[in-house]
Amino acid sequence: MDYRAQIGIRFITRRRGSLIAASLAVAIAILVVQVNSVIFQGLYDAIVRDQINYRFGHVYITRQEDFITKSDFMLVNWLERIPYVQAAAPRIDSAASINATIGGKIIRDYSVPVIGVDPVLDREASTMYQTVAPGGQYVSYRDSVVVGAIVDRDLGYPQVGDTIKLKFKDQFGQDILRRLTIVGITATAGSVGLDNSVIMNIDTLREILDRPHQTQSILVKLSDPTKDTDVKDLFLAAFPSNADKFKAQTIEESAEQTLSGFRSGIALINLVGYFGMMSSAFAVVTIQMMQVTSKTRDIGVMRAIGAKRKDVLLVFIFQGMVIGAIGAGLGTVMGVTYTAYAKETHMTFQGSLPLEVKYNWTSIMQTDIMAFVLAVIASIYPAYKATRLEPVEAMRVG
Amino acid sequence: MADYVLEVKNVDKVYGQGDTEVYALRNLSFSVKRGEFMLIVGSSGSGKSTLLNMIGLLDRPTRGKVIIDGIDTSELNDNELSTFRNSKLGFIFQFSNLLSDLTVLENVTLPRKIQGTIQNSADEAKTLLKTVGLENQMHKFGNQISGGQAQRVAITRALIAKPAIVLADEPTGNLDSVSAETTVQLLKSLNRKLYQTFIIVTHDRHQFGEVDKVVTIKDGRILKEEMEANLV
Ligand SMILES: Nc1ncnc2c1ncn2[C@@H]1O[C@H](COP(=O)(O)OP(=O)(O)OP(=O)(O)O)[C@@H](O)[C@H]1O
Ligand SMILES: [Mg+2]
Repeated sequence: MDYRAQIGIRFITRRRGSLIAASLAVAIAILVVQVNSVIFQGLYDAIVRDQINYRFGHVYITRQEDFITKSDFMLVNWLERIPYVQAAAPRIDSAASINATIGGKIIRDYSVPVIGVDPVLDREASTMYQTVAPGGQYVSYRDSVVVGAIVDRDLGYPQVGDTIKLKFKDQFGQDILRRLTIVGITATAGSVGLDNSVIMNIDTLREILDRPHQTQSILVKLSDPTKDTDVKDLFLAAFPSNADKFKAQTIEESAEQTLSGFRSGIALINLVGYFGMMSSAFAVVTIQMMQVTSKTRDIGVMRAIGAKRKDVLLVFIFQGMVIGAIGAGLGTVMGVTYTAYAKETHMTFQGSLPLEVKYNWTSIMQTDIMAFVLAVIASIYPAYKATRLEPVEAMRVG
Repeated sequence: MADYVLEVKNVDKVYGQGDTEVYALRNLSFSVKRGEFMLIVGSSGSGKSTLLNMIGLLDRPTRGKVIIDGIDTSELNDNELSTFRNSKLGFIFQFSNLLSDLTVLENVTLPRKIQGTIQNSADEAKTLLKTVGLENQMHKFGNQISGGQAQRVAITRALIAKPAIVLADEPTGNLDSVSAETTVQLLKSLNRKLYQTFIIVTHDRHQFGEVDKVVTIKDGRILKEEMEANLV
């Protein structure tokens, strides 16, 4: 082995206290980044997951400023012929008002979003049906509704089998009253689903709104989510006509509003991680300076017997590499352990929303490399200081 | 080519500046022939260590020249000085000479590793360690052996790269009388055997018995320069 590497490694490994302190500093910085990533990236991914499952699918097709008038049957069939497409389902978003009793007060025209879904196709393209509380079922026959948990609470907890009266406005502004039967109540973790909405049969809604055969959006679920832009492009290429004016969006685009705030939040949290990394770098500088001080005589002896300044520099750079490598190794073990723990225990955010925990090896590698490089960079100044020591130091008494 | 392995010419060494200026060495000149065993003596604070630092190229004189093997060292840069120290000089210091994080064997071969001539260095080191009676301590760390043993290790390290001059600053100063005697005899026998120049700073010239040359320093100047013929 190169003698400078050997001396560097010995210097630090034979000073267990310094080694443990320095590599722990590096490791903890990595752990902080990892924990942040598990929680906040996990939260972000969880939100993306739920937005896909409940609202937008992987690809969300709408028509600019208007309803889709082409047959939903035809469009769904066309989409499902694409190999990456697992399912597609039409929906209509509308609104209605209910007379509700909130906190003992009767509130007229309590307004709720209404989502019209296809009872069969929606089960394929969305997991909304899985959020129906036990004892209920998803929208099935024409006059059935699934009520969101928040709406249900505001209405004074009507049960499955009860009826509610909804007041719609059709496309001409006419009030239309409909009595519908509750078949289920939907509740999602963190209320990220349709807890504030009412879900009903799309054909009933079409009829109420006087929009026969019209559709507002089509959720497309993919078997291979990485192909979202391909599917989007295929669709737009197949239906290019100006009359159609289709709009197709990937989840990143359709959920942009929800996600953009989160993204800047994550950026801020990552900044915290980088500050952690910086302070670990300062810890490495301090410990390395202590090392240089305590090895003054050894450095003098090395210089006296012919080591050049460059050689002394390398000794301490190697020392930094040992700290960086052990710290990165330790940090990875700690970070991966935490990730495994989060995954195994199905960690949730604020006790409800289950985090989407993934082993992001690319990010782990990046963090490791960054921590390692920082430990080496942090060693440059102490190493340089060491090179400024003169060989006469070897003669110093004591 | 040079008659002298070492020439010290009009060397001044000044520490500090202005009011705090101290002349540790003042216009000092002498020469040493190859193979000589020379002592530098003088009272405490007379400038012995300072002189040895100049000869050992550990520090530069304020004025004057140190010529080793015919080469004017004042013209060498820091890297060249390092290389020069590595190949021409061997050091034995008064206090802990060894790197405590290296084994005895690793300490001894270090000059050769620095030199980049590692071949056979371990074997040569073992032979030298045998000469000083430390063949059983080779794998102990630098801080796991006694002071006298460490001093003997330092001697073998000073010799491993076959330097022209071996320098020692009070090599026995830290040792009990028995270890001191062993060390002195070792240095003298190595000098006779290897025909290398030995320059040794000491408080106690009598410990060394008969030597080739003794330079006595007082207040940074040469008080007396005695050759073998005049020595008792
Ligand atoms: N780094 C320094 N800065 C200032 N003055 C110094 C320095 N080193 C030595 N001196 C002074 O130079 C003079 C010579 O010191 P030196 O160490 O050479 O003496 P010495 O003969 O080796 O003494 P001793 O026998 O006690 O080791 C002393 O007056 C000392 O105080
Ligand atoms: Mg001295």
